[in-house]
Amino acid sequence: MKRSKRIVPDVFKKKRKVVVSAGLQSDWGCDQDSILSNLALPNDTKVALDYVKSLLHVEVFEFRIPTIIFKHQIYSIVHNKTTVDRQLEELKEKKVIKMFKLGIAVDEFCIVFTDDYKQHVKRQEPDNKTIDKFLDTVVDRCPDVSLTKSTMINEFCFTDEEITHLVSAGLLTVRDVGSWWLAIPGAGIFMKTFVKGRQSLLRTIRKCKYQEILQKNLEEKKLAAVKKLGMNFHILDIIGAELVKKIQTTSGCLLRLNE
Amino acid sequence: MLSFLSARENGTHRPSALSRAEATRRIFSLELSKDRDVQRIHDSGVNTLDIDPVEGRYLLSGGTEGVIVICDLECRPQENYTCPSVCTIGRSSRHVHKYSVDTVQWYSHDTGLFTSSSMDKTLKVWDTNALKPADVFRFETIVYDHNMSSVATKHCLIAVGTIHSQVVLCDLKSGSSTHVLRGHKASVLSVKWSPRDEFLLASGSRDSKIMLWDVRRAKSCLSILDQHNGEKGKGSTEAVNTAHNGHVNGLSFTSDGLYLVSFGTDDRLRLWDTMSGKNTLVNYGKVDNVSRKGSKFTVSYGGSPDVAFVPMGSNIAVFDIYTGEYVATLIGHYNNVNCCTFHPLYQELYSAGNDSNILIWEPELGQKTDVAEKKDNKQSSSTVGNAVQDTWSDED
Repeated sequence: MKRSKRIVPDVFKKKRKVVVSAGLQSDWGCDQDSILSNLALPNDTKVALDYVKSLLHVEVFEFRIPTIIFKHQIYSIVHNKTTVDRQLEELKEKKVIKMFKLGIAVDEFCIVFTDDYKQHVKRQEPDNKTIDKFLDTVVDRCPDVSLTKSTMINEFCFTDEEITHLVSAGLLTVRDVGSWWLAIPGAGIFMKTFVKGRQSLLRTIRKCKYQEILQKNLEEKKLAAVKKLGMNFHILDIIGAELVKKIQTTSGCLLRLNE
Repeated sequence: MLSFLSARENGTHRPSALSRAEATRRIFSLELSKDRDVQRIHDSGVNTLDIDPVEGRYLLSGGTEGVIVICDLECRPQENYTCPSVCTIGRSSRHVHKYSVDTVQWYSHDTGLFTSSSMDKTLKVWDTNALKPADVFRFETIVYDHNMSSVATKHCLIAVGTIHSQVVLCDLKSGSSTHVLRGHKASVLSVKWSPRDEFLLASGSRDSKIMLWDVRRAKSCLSILDQHNGEKGKGSTEAVNTAHNGHVNGLSFTSDGLYLVSFGTDDRLRLWDTMSGKNTLVNYGKVDNVSRKGSKFTVSYGGSPDVAFVPMGSNIAVFDIYTGEYVATLIGHYNNVNCCTFHPLYQELYSAGNDSNILIWEPELGQKTDVAEKKDNKQSSSTVGNAVQDTWSDED
């Protein structure tokens, strides 16, 4: 008996893949093409994004922020990181989502749905021509995380004044001389709550014996800092950021702090 | 497997399909060997291992005391077999390295020659039968890594990486360093020749860059590998045109030479396409890198998909190269693992570290050796007996 349960790829093709022919589905009386069109089926990452979006309740922040999802949270839902990366790139190209760089770590990114972002920006500063122009040109056409001065001036025809206005409104953050990160205006309060919640959760696990705790025990604990964003949101975050290791045990899922 | 065997017989499948499938199954089921181990000669940590590419029979290991040991891996089918050491260049030898040996490598065409480079600023070319250095290349600074091409027919160059930012190419035929590759700005931690192209060399350095060189050209540098593939948006401005966000610790080509795997102190593994020089953006997650010098990891050979065995602290992490999925952790060492090497013929992994042990990881497929069963034959025949025979005692 093998003690370790390792998944060996099915090299000898023991399992045959079930192939459903298109003809079988037609007796339901609907149009074949509409049911089986692959374009309608969302991919794994999109479903994961929708799930995380449902976890966050923006009413708590009095609608001051759009729904922000971290890229590493998706890693803890869909296990293959490369597939997640590729599908996120596809969604970015299709302009369904926008990615922003948050935090000091080099590869910490957060994802916001493009519609939510536009709605949020319009709500913050309604009737502002520069901002509307920015939303229509840059947000719609450019999938990048950062912008340089030459792109802004040449491609999108922004003047220096307009750029200054955008920075003061919080839509652009200074990165370097002549380059800016795209940013979410008013995201400060979200980051503050998020960081506090994460620290509180990690502190709780660190205090436990052997620095590990069963997930259901953790969910039962009432932590004030975690209440705003929700326990599930934070748990997805610490697993995805590899601060904590998820181990399946006979008593359920165990979270052990990584050194 | 039987379906594959009959398919091979009647010609539906190519013969290589069966060998690849079985090799992959073996590679994915590696466990610490229960019967075999390697004789422990080193008193201190082992830094480097190499298996001879000709027969796959001799294991060369270099330790932190400058000791070099050669072990015979040929397996006798018996329980608890210890691979004996054939010869040792110990502390008492006149020609032993003064300080730690960082890299050893067999000559690619026969076992009469091997090379070793050490912290005593030398690269020694040894005659195996006499156990004396046939040639010694001296450098001004510590040598971190050296590599000789396994497919070269037109040259006998050894690429050497030292604290100096230049990669020195030493020629075995003439006995001196022929030329120098300039391009890096800090010490070169790792050098590897491509197994596909005898003139292609990859080098990784402390300035976070990986450079691909063609040694025939005057301005040898072919390209500097960029982790963002030219998109400036993703990282900070200092990270532009770097392969890792930290020092590049280890390099390893896949056996077909089409991909290069690199390991960095930013705790990331990256897979590069050798032909285009692009980052394939496969995400392996965070792979803890405790080594501040070179980390000698290895890539399997003969399986599809291939896996990378990366030393992570005291354990070895196994990752599927092309998808980035984590396969397993091999736990067995008592201290940091410094090097791993893969035996191409038998799909075994040999690893060594600071605990002076060389461990063998064999495929565990649930098969028992015949020798053990023969010994218990008397006992087993009574239990595994005739199906018709009952178990009532005859006395009553």
